[in-house]
Amino acid sequence: MKNSARILIAKTGLDGHWRGASLVARALREAGFDVVMAGMSSWEEIVQAISDKEVDLLGISIGGHMEVAERAIAEARKVRPDLPVMVGGVVPPWAKKKLEAQGVEVYPPGSQMSEITEGAQRLTGYRAEPMPGSDTGRSQA
Amino acid sequence: MTDTPSRTWKTASGIPLKSSYCREDIPQWYLPEINKAPGELPYQRGAFAQGYRSKPWRIFQLSGFGKPEDENERIKFLLAHGETGFLMEHDRNTADHMYNVDHPDVLARPQDVGLTGAVMQSIRDIDICLSDLPISTTFGHAGGAVVQHAPFALAGYWTVAKRRGLSLETLPGTGQSDFFLTYHGCVPKHQIPTAAGLRFNADIIEFCYKYVKRWVPVSIAAYNGADTGLNAYQELGALFANAVEYLDEIKRRDSMPLEAAAKACGGVNFRLSMDLFEEASKIRAGRKMWADLLERRYGISDAKARQLRIHCVTSGSNMTYQQPLNNIVRGTLMALAGVLSGIQSLGISGYDEALSIPSEHAHQMSVRIQQILQHETNVPAVVDPLGGSYYIESLTAELIERAWSFFDEIQSRGGFLETLNTGWLHHCAHENQHEDFLAQERKERIIVGVNDFRADISPFEVDGFVGVNDAFDVAMQRLKDVRATRAQRPAAQALHNLERVCRNSENIMPAMMDALDAEVTLGEIGDVWRSVLGDWVAPQITI
Repeated sequence: MKNSARILIAKTGLDGHWRGASLVARALREAGFDVVMAGMSSWEEIVQAISDKEVDLLGISIGGHMEVAERAIAEARKVRPDLPVMVGGVVPPWAKKKLEAQGVEVYPPGSQMSEITEGAQRLTGYRAEPMPGSDTGRSQA
Repeated sequence: MTDTPSRTWKTASGIPLKSSYCREDIPQWYLPEINKAPGELPYQRGAFAQGYRSKPWRIFQLSGFGKPEDENERIKFLLAHGETGFLMEHDRNTADHMYNVDHPDVLARPQDVGLTGAVMQSIRDIDICLSDLPISTTFGHAGGAVVQHAPFALAGYWTVAKRRGLSLETLPGTGQSDFFLTYHGCVPKHQIPTAAGLRFNADIIEFCYKYVKRWVPVSIAAYNGADTGLNAYQELGALFANAVEYLDEIKRRDSMPLEAAAKACGGVNFRLSMDLFEEASKIRAGRKMWADLLERRYGISDAKARQLRIHCVTSGSNMTYQQPLNNIVRGTLMALAGVLSGIQSLGISGYDEALSIPSEHAHQMSVRIQQILQHETNVPAVVDPLGGSYYIESLTAELIERAWSFFDEIQSRGGFLETLNTGWLHHCAHENQHEDFLAQERKERIIVGVNDFRADISPFEVDGFVGVNDAFDVAMQRLKDVRATRAQRPAAQALHNLERVCRNSENIMPAMMDALDAEVTLGEIGDVWRSVLGDWVAPQITI
């Protein structure tokens, strides 16, 4: 187990709906992750950010075309072949299958908080005690 | 079914609920209102005495993607299936940011272009999008949801109308210019500051008062605040906090009667969500709040000016990715809340909302649900059918009290614009969303197909709508064409004049009309905004 893990969350499109990425970022922070928000980013900016910031996991919020996200993931993997990738946002089933075939974990709308945080824990090998005041992971399911 | 923890009964906004209601639950201050008739001030029972008997609600669906001709085709499809107004949607990448398609931020993601709205960079594109549409008789929405884009979208629509020989005096329709969308729910990468946005909206209101008299100049869409997380009473309070910014600005300018400005601001947009009775009560509360606000704050006694006209859209975020056909039922129930409370106009989000923009079938279904409500349920027969219910009346009163408290809190924090600038309003929304995320996790809130009842045997595959793949290429070619073939001198003069007007305090709209007519492009106008008006610093939470 590592004692810290950093997640970079970027939006590949120019669609400014921020709710999904912001909610996921908060859940991950409360699960103990160091989350860096990169905002609306081109693939070049994403590559730059993962190179600069020693990132353990790349999270991509898709509010645009699948090919734009796929390009960003492919370019990120050129510089960091080992970097795990999670995708959220508007990802129709056909695109979800396509991304999963490329080894990307997809969390479509309706994904529950623990599914996302546990996915990040599995992909990074990092698990921390929840921060004080956090309810994350206290599922009564 | 999974075990659920003992359930707490409350509304979606957190108002505790009793198991039944009686007359004593209605507060004293509100009791006199109950016996008022629909069409009678303060209108919580309905803005119009005869309700849907005199006028059915408008079937009004957001639509658009791809090239202007793709959007035109979809609008015609919807009108052919019974839509009674139409809405234009402009491409998010270009329009929201006032970029042409050759801007580096757009070139970085060309496949995104046209995904959610048609690309319209000049009057030529808007003309194609409006081809053969009955704009002189049908209530049209010109697009321009984003504040900095609204002058372009409106001037484009109006210039097309003028070129067709129509009188602007009688042209029906609306734009949006919505602060909730652009500064709260869907924040572009770059946009003009809120103060400049306020100037634009006041300019539009003044211009319509003089020249486009039947037009609804702005439409405050608290929908966009609510679907980002504001609860029912926050949605109400924030909407009216927004409205007073516009009215105070018009009052400062002293350029038109306040009654006319009130009418201009009184066509608004609320979200309809899944708590049926809270949402119906919210709409009723909204009408009374508007009538009271105009009298108390501005001394407006004119009864007609105090009628709030309401467009609603069913909550997109309540449409689930899982088992999407269930969303047809959700759309119906959310719409019913609006119909029971007497709204004037309605859009139902597509059942494939969580997967893509609407397919033709999802769009048709949204129209069909409305037609079933209008023709089969008999709900439209009686105005305010929920009126007099102890529960509804007490909830209406409770929402009014809580909404005014929220309104007052916004004022104490410097007003609506300031709570956007500081990010306070975003934090309110985000806290609610986070609480909801936790409630789903703990199964205190069950969403069918999402966190319970997940088994799905549906034989129907819903795979989302895939648009067209030539929007970018065609837009690039048309951009080159318009630059090469327009009359260069008038275009340069119009752009120069727009910049001059932008730098002083004249109304921006006459110069916008000239610029659109001279075939100045979207990105060129955006460059003026950027150089003269600067950039809004978005709150950290939105990035």
